Amino acid sequence: MSQKRTLVVMAIAALALSGCANGESTAPGDSDTLTIGTILPPTTFDLEGREWGNASPFYQAVYDTLLSATPDGGVEPRLATEWSYDGDETLLTMELRDDVTFSDGSELTAQVVQDNLEAFQESGATAAVYLAGVTGIETTGEHSLEISLAEPDPAFLNYLARDPGVIVSGEALNDESLAGEPVGSGPYLLDTSATVTSTSYVYTRNPDHWDTEAQHYDELTINVYEEPTAALNAIRAGEVDAAQLASNDNRAEVEAEDWDIHTVELDFQGLLLFDRAGDMNPALGETKVRQAINHAIDRHAMLEALQGGYGSVTSQVFPEHAMGFDPELEEHYPYDPEKARELLEEAGYGEGFVLEMPMSGALGSTPYTLLEQQLNDVGIVAEHTDSGNNFFADMLAPKYPAAMMSLEQNPDWQLVQFMVAPQAQFNPLNSQSDELDTMIEDLQYGDGQEQAARDINTYLVEEAWFAPFYRVDAAFATSEGVQVDMLATNAYPNVYDIRPQS
Amino acid sequence: MTQETAARRHAPGRGRGLPARLLANPATALSLAFLFLVTLVVFGGEPLAPRDPNHSSLHDILVGPGGDYPLGTDGAGRDVLSRLLVATRISVLAALLALAVALLLGVAGGMLAGYYGGWFDTVSTWLTSLVMSLPAIVVLLAARAVLGPSVWLSMAIFGVILSPVFFRLVYSLVSSVREELYVDAARVSGLGDARILGRHILAVVRAPIIIQAAIVTSTAIAIQSGLEFLGLGDPSVPTWGSMLNEGFANIYRAPMLLLWPAVAIALTSVALAVLANTLRDELEGGARPAGGPQTAEDGPRETAHAPVRHRPEETGTGRELLSVRGLRVGYRTPAGVREVVHGIDLSVDRGEVHGLVGESGSGKTQTAFAVMGLLSRGGRVLAGSAVFEGNDLLAGGEADRARVRGRGIGYVPQEPMSNLDPSFTIGSQLVEPLRVCLGMDRRAARARALGLLERVGIPDPERTFSAYPHQVSGGMAQRVLIAGAVSTEPALLIADEPTTALDVTVQAEVLDLLRDLQQDLDMGVLLVTHNFGVVADLCDRVSVMRSGHIVESGPTREIFRDAEHPYTQSLLDSILDGGSARGPLAPTDRKDVDR
Amino acid sequence: MFRFALRRLISGGALLFLITTVAYALLYAGGGDIARRIMGPNATQEQVDRRAAELGLDRPLWEQYRSWLGDALTGDLGTSWFSRQPVLTEVTDRLAVTLSLVVGATVLATVLAVALGVLAAVRRGWIDRSVQVIALLGFAVPGFLIALGLVLLLAIELGWFRATGYVPLAHSPGEWLASVTLPVLALSASAVAAVAQQIRGSVIDALDRDYVRTLRSRGLGFRQVVLKHVLRNSAGPALAVLGVQFIGLLGGAVIVEQVFSIPGLGQLSVQATGNGDIPLVLGLVLVTAAIVIAVNLLIDLCQAALNPKVRLS
Repeated sequence: MSQKRTLVVMAIAALALSGCANGESTAPGDSDTLTIGTILPPTTFDLEGREWGNASPFYQAVYDTLLSATPDGGVEPRLATEWSYDGDETLLTMELRDDVTFSDGSELTAQVVQDNLEAFQESGATAAVYLAGVTGIETTGEHSLEISLAEPDPAFLNYLARDPGVIVSGEALNDESLAGEPVGSGPYLLDTSATVTSTSYVYTRNPDHWDTEAQHYDELTINVYEEPTAALNAIRAGEVDAAQLASNDNRAEVEAEDWDIHTVELDFQGLLLFDRAGDMNPALGETKVRQAINHAIDRHAMLEALQGGYGSVTSQVFPEHAMGFDPELEEHYPYDPEKARELLEEAGYGEGFVLEMPMSGALGSTPYTLLEQQLNDVGIVAEHTDSGNNFFADMLAPKYPAAMMSLEQNPDWQLVQFMVAPQAQFNPLNSQSDELDTMIEDLQYGDGQEQAARDINTYLVEEAWFAPFYRVDAAFATSEGVQVDMLATNAYPNVYDIRPQS
Repeated sequence: MTQETAARRHAPGRGRGLPARLLANPATALSLAFLFLVTLVVFGGEPLAPRDPNHSSLHDILVGPGGDYPLGTDGAGRDVLSRLLVATRISVLAALLALAVALLLGVAGGMLAGYYGGWFDTVSTWLTSLVMSLPAIVVLLAARAVLGPSVWLSMAIFGVILSPVFFRLVYSLVSSVREELYVDAARVSGLGDARILGRHILAVVRAPIIIQAAIVTSTAIAIQSGLEFLGLGDPSVPTWGSMLNEGFANIYRAPMLLLWPAVAIALTSVALAVLANTLRDELEGGARPAGGPQTAEDGPRETAHAPVRHRPEETGTGRELLSVRGLRVGYRTPAGVREVVHGIDLSVDRGEVHGLVGESGSGKTQTAFAVMGLLSRGGRVLAGSAVFEGNDLLAGGEADRARVRGRGIGYVPQEPMSNLDPSFTIGSQLVEPLRVCLGMDRRAARARALGLLERVGIPDPERTFSAYPHQVSGGMAQRVLIAGAVSTEPALLIADEPTTALDVTVQAEVLDLLRDLQQDLDMGVLLVTHNFGVVADLCDRVSVMRSGHIVESGPTREIFRDAEHPYTQSLLDSILDGGSARGPLAPTDRKDVDR
Repeated sequence: MFRFALRRLISGGALLFLITTVAYALLYAGGGDIARRIMGPNATQEQVDRRAAELGLDRPLWEQYRSWLGDALTGDLGTSWFSRQPVLTEVTDRLAVTLSLVVGATVLATVLAVALGVLAAVRRGWIDRSVQVIALLGFAVPGFLIALGLVLLLAIELGWFRATGYVPLAHSPGEWLASVTLPVLALSASAVAAVAQQIRGSVIDALDRDYVRTLRSRGLGFRQVVLKHVLRNSAGPALAVLGVQFIGLLGGAVIVEQVFSIPGLGQLSVQATGNGDIPLVLGLVLVTAAIVIAVNLLIDLCQAALNPKVRLS
């Protein structure tokens, strides 16, 4: 009783002192300020820690990229105004804007871009591999340059619209302080005094920015909510104007607040059956066993259970916007435990077998539990070992013949380089076949790229290299006063595509 | 050190056995019943689980309670009831693991360090402060990062972190009883160290350890659920914490999921806390009727005879200062109100010294307290009046009595040291009433206090004024208390065994001082004492009290000359025989005299 | 008194050294493939090996420790492997936030606990029983549930306070208050319970003291005696419990900061241990241990100052 009264008294006191805490000055809902909620902080603002995906809005606010992604999956000019390939697609010529100034006062020149690309290539950043095929960069004028590639890279322009294409001031490129104090030409400047690392990043309008069209707000705040419930609370309390949702669990509650949900199917969740040669687990060497695994999974129920139905079930790893995508393949492996058992029988594993896989706490225990149950129903004993912080290391070492994973979906060539090619990161046991190698070559060179992509996709599905479950809706939620254009290739829209409702 | 004395006190049982006494308290009985239920689930719950706790049903995600699933299913379509049953087993056993580790390290370490001392003592005390400086949750987070998520491992580590709780407890108990008689005696009789540690010392530390164990167990359960709430548990093992985490993730979709583990954790913690509290009361004696008088029933019960009165005509003379009529005082006990003063009459005239004599427990002090309105907790006046300067103190409210205290009635207590507040200087304790009651300013009050200190014969008043109670002797302290009592110039001074706690030589000086002051200020004095020697010395009239009754009263000379009541006669005989100033009836434990 | 303080200070320093040594050994010895963790799944093995060499992870443990200790003594706790910010700045940036919460909760808990504890001890009866029940509830209800309830009611429904985030005091005192009030309330609940119990006990104990009756016999009011003498004499035991609670609150802050998305030491601890950012974890252990040691020292000094027997010797 007295405690309750004390609470109310305290509340009133605090209210009086704060001058009505909510909805004033820099609070969201103000048309001059945009507050975005994200789920992960950026590591740093320097080259070593440069990332995209969840970190993209933090970077896009302060840095410009050479190109910029468009909602339909293409690229458009940003710092580069024009670009073209030569005949065999190994020499890229690029023209730059001549009116760009960095926040330290230095100017954008071809030399600065060259320095940036070369430095990034040498950096320890994870995306540095995307520039591995660059053999030389030459400036051909104050604002023009040429980039030579060892071999054609159909995804190269896409890379220049994300982390490899970020351009830092030439004078700050090697500064130690760059990690915490970015020096770029983007539409906003990072207010380091108001920023709390890993939690809240405050940006103010860059008065010298060349593209006033990209600046819709005077101030931009990006808050990090690692706890989904905290994010939901922030949305319900009106403390953010737009937010990335960590999962689809709370979508209904966000919609109940009259927010708009914008979705893009970005990741697929499923099994990566690394051991296609049966080196670690002979059973996985059998195509029929891998197919049986595919048939054992009730994709629709999984989607419903784990994502509340927000997404699309699929049997292929190619995303809808890719050339190789084939609608016919979506339901290639219908849920059929009977068939799965038959296939196992045919492959000589009628008695079942044990499949060891790593697990990570990041996904929670539910997906693993459900997966184990379904595999168990057809006789496969799935044993998960918690790898904790070593999940990626264990998976890619690889210590396990297979793993359940949520992976980003990329356009054709990027996807192949990421998880199909013999040296790809997510092909740790270097699975390959001559048939596949030929198709990959066709995708890289030649005119039949679309057909090659489809062939690769069909091959992967029929050979059951993977056992995808579904593509997940990545949800970006906006309050009533905000409108956005989503991208096909990123969880976040471009910062300049978030603007006040007109 | 209270635990130490308490622990020693507990040794003999009090009538009924401990379990019976615990069950007599409904809250404790409920707690025990719940803990018993938890124990049943821990050891027999798994077979009762209707399903495999890890079996998930893809088509039964977040099903509400009822039907196939009595408590519904969670986000992975697992049966909540089955998980709750198994989680209870794991969470409780893991918490007990923490307890076991803490007990093992803390009790063993504390015993060895306390018993042997020396380098072992130094090292383990150091290690203890090391462990205590570690922020537990950060350590557990770090341990998880290095060693991986395991509820057993983290609880074992938490046990290490908690071990200082037991170490400190056992260490202080053991080192204080180490040299005590019974251990020495055990040594002499040839018992080995191990036997001594095991048999004698363990008996002493047992009770506090049991109490701490209950608290430690609930702490372990709390921290365990905290870690799992942060998503740092082992996802494949059902525990209360992981269920809580699961419930929190679905809090807006299926709030009931949060309920079961939260209830399990809360009830277990509450039950353990209640149990610890009751055990503390039972084993450490905290439940005795607080502050009540020791007893008034030990002596033969006096039937309600009319007291023997010598010269009753001398009362009601108009010089009457205090007139007590039919005073009954009782104390609340678990068995109801117990009367300790059974309706007495008493009067004190202006300028008269009236002795109230009786043995320990006869109700004299309670009479004095009742008049001042300062009975101990649980005590109250059941009937009667106490008219002081025309006003009935017992009829008025506390405010009226408070006004009379100080200016009307002063009080000199028995035990000098415990009656001075150890945290304030003697001067400030003298000045405070002067300023509050008499409205004196700081400087005047100080001058008055210094004058009083000089008046009561303190050699260096300035020094004593600024000294703390622990810096003066008992005799000095009693003079200070007398100075305090008369500082507000009361008309009546109640002196409760003012010399009992003092050395024989000092006793005489203090009595002289009292007499001088009485004459100077023309005060009425009610002198509570068990000592007829003092009465003979000081008193004009005497009332003899026994078992809550006044058995005889009259002028001192007449009582000494021809006491009629056998009890008075026996008291007189005893001082004539023994000759001791304190008399053979004085109990040895000064502090508890006549409370 | 001074020598007492000095002795405690030196032993505190030695303790700190021991803690860091043990922590260092445990963290680095069990670190696993640290470089891979830092680089994530997309990096190539060469990148990973290069990073390991940059971080000095290829050197023997003893050598790594020696250079870390040398730097630490000059106030350099190394650099976070992930953010590449100096560990000391990372930690001190967060320290103010967590201290706002923990000190706020301690103060609030003290005020409420003194009020409730004294009330319960003096009035007894139903007030006493209510306080006991509140104490049990505070003890039994998990802190994050209290936090969530407060957010739902006071932030989302009534909009009085912020549901998430932290505004630095220097930025705007009013908004700072609006941002820390709910976390402080949530954090202090269990401490109020524990301290109120303790104060109730020691006040009951002090009320039974003889000097209370004697002081009252001289005409001082009951209230006055309680507020001055009884409270002063109950302060020692209460202070000891407060010290324990303060350390407990540092731990509780980990959970509360997570629920309120507050950038404090707790959140940093979860991030750092989740990432396996060992220099940062080590820095956190060092700083929190230093706080605990400092608080214990402070409490011992206060105890000594409160007790004239110790103060004057």
